Amino acid sequence: MNDPPLLILTSLAEGPKHGYALAQDIGEFAGVRLSPGALYGAIARLEERGLIEALPEVERRRPYRVTAAGSAELAEAMREMRRVVDVGTHRLGLLQGRLA
Amino acid sequence: MTDSHPRPHHDLKWYPRGWRDRYGADFEQFLEDRYGDGPLPLSARLSMVRSGSLERLRSGGIVGSSVDPDTRVRGASLLVLCAWGVFIVAGSAFAKYTEHWPLATPPVDHWLPATGMAAVQAAAAVGVLILIVAGLACLPAFVQFMRSEGWRALWPLVRPMTLSVIAAGAASVGIVAWNNHVGPSTTTPLGLRIAGVLAGLVVIGALAVSYATLIAFVYRLRISTRVTRILGVLAVAMTLALAVIFAGALTWWISTALHAPWFFGSLIPRSPTSPAPLPMIVLGLMMLSGLVLAGIGALRIATLLSAVGDMTSPTAS
Repeated sequence: MNDPPLLILTSLAEGPKHGYALAQDIGEFAGVRLSPGALYGAIARLEERGLIEALPEVERRRPYRVTAAGSAELAEAMREMRRVVDVGTHRLGLLQGRLA
Repeated sequence: MTDSHPRPHHDLKWYPRGWRDRYGADFEQFLEDRYGDGPLPLSARLSMVRSGSLERLRSGGIVGSSVDPDTRVRGASLLVLCAWGVFIVAGSAFAKYTEHWPLATPPVDHWLPATGMAAVQAAAAVGVLILIVAGLACLPAFVQFMRSEGWRALWPLVRPMTLSVIAAGAASVGIVAWNNHVGPSTTTPLGLRIAGVLAGLVVIGALAVSYATLIAFVYRLRISTRVTRILGVLAVAMTLALAVIFAGALTWWISTALHAPWFFGSLIPRSPTSPAPLPMIVLGLMMLSGLVLAGIGALRIATLLSAVGDMTSPTAS
């Protein structure tokens, strides 16, 4: 679970955040500490693809928010992950509590 | 935290100007928020080197699809040009290494290696011709640059190249003069050998600086769609020439190794005869890596050539 674009979209689904707040939030909910290069590289790619957009700067910090296309992409990624999680859970017998 | 306009981070130089204009201030603020005023940890700096280099390749159209097809074809053509640079270094060493092969092998075994060598030489000549045509194709854009920007804009770009070429020329002249002073001898003095290696490194460094300058300069030129297409086609042709050079060198190597393996041991006194000596392996690998580089560029050009001039595609930031 170390896909910077997906982590950023997930974080922004909660609301707009600037770079540092994004990194902090991702660290908290995913336990992943994104490097500066990885974080801003992913931000640039997401903005280029129109999945996030920048808001006006506040004290040199530029907040970003997820666009409608970004929400749709995130929702699709979640559905795909859910399918994998469901299959994995079923095959491990976790739902029946056999291995839990 | 410091004042509202902290000193720009030195490491941002890895990123292209367009990226720095867009994200630079925000990025600096992020670095300050995370690391304070102290020096950045090595891991953070390395991530910026990697990410910044990647952004440069993207903005130059060498990887990704974030810029218009014209820029991507131009970037891919420059990739092929870089591959040619690798072949210049490997080819020069190959020519030096193999210069006396006809004397060391029986005439009856000459046909195949001679064919391979002839292919190398013919393809190298074609490569030079392609470069000349590419230069001529870019000439109008160069004239336009000089008219609009002038010498003052050109000089800062070409200054490092000029200095490095002068250094390489001086090193080459020095080593030739020293070699002539020593005269014909069965063993080359150790000092001369070391100086030869150093001079070689200076020449390779000058070549690298020249290439970097040329690439930076080509991105400054306003090259028309028609010329971009021509450059793309020439780059593909150059890739074919490089493939022929590689195939010719390989043919020469294999046929010589089969018919006259002693040749590879005869050049280095007291070295064991091996059909695959280290210098040939290194040169072969250099050529192969250059060919792979050119192949990547040529494939990219082949897929983009029809889209050149289509400015509806994404543009550079």
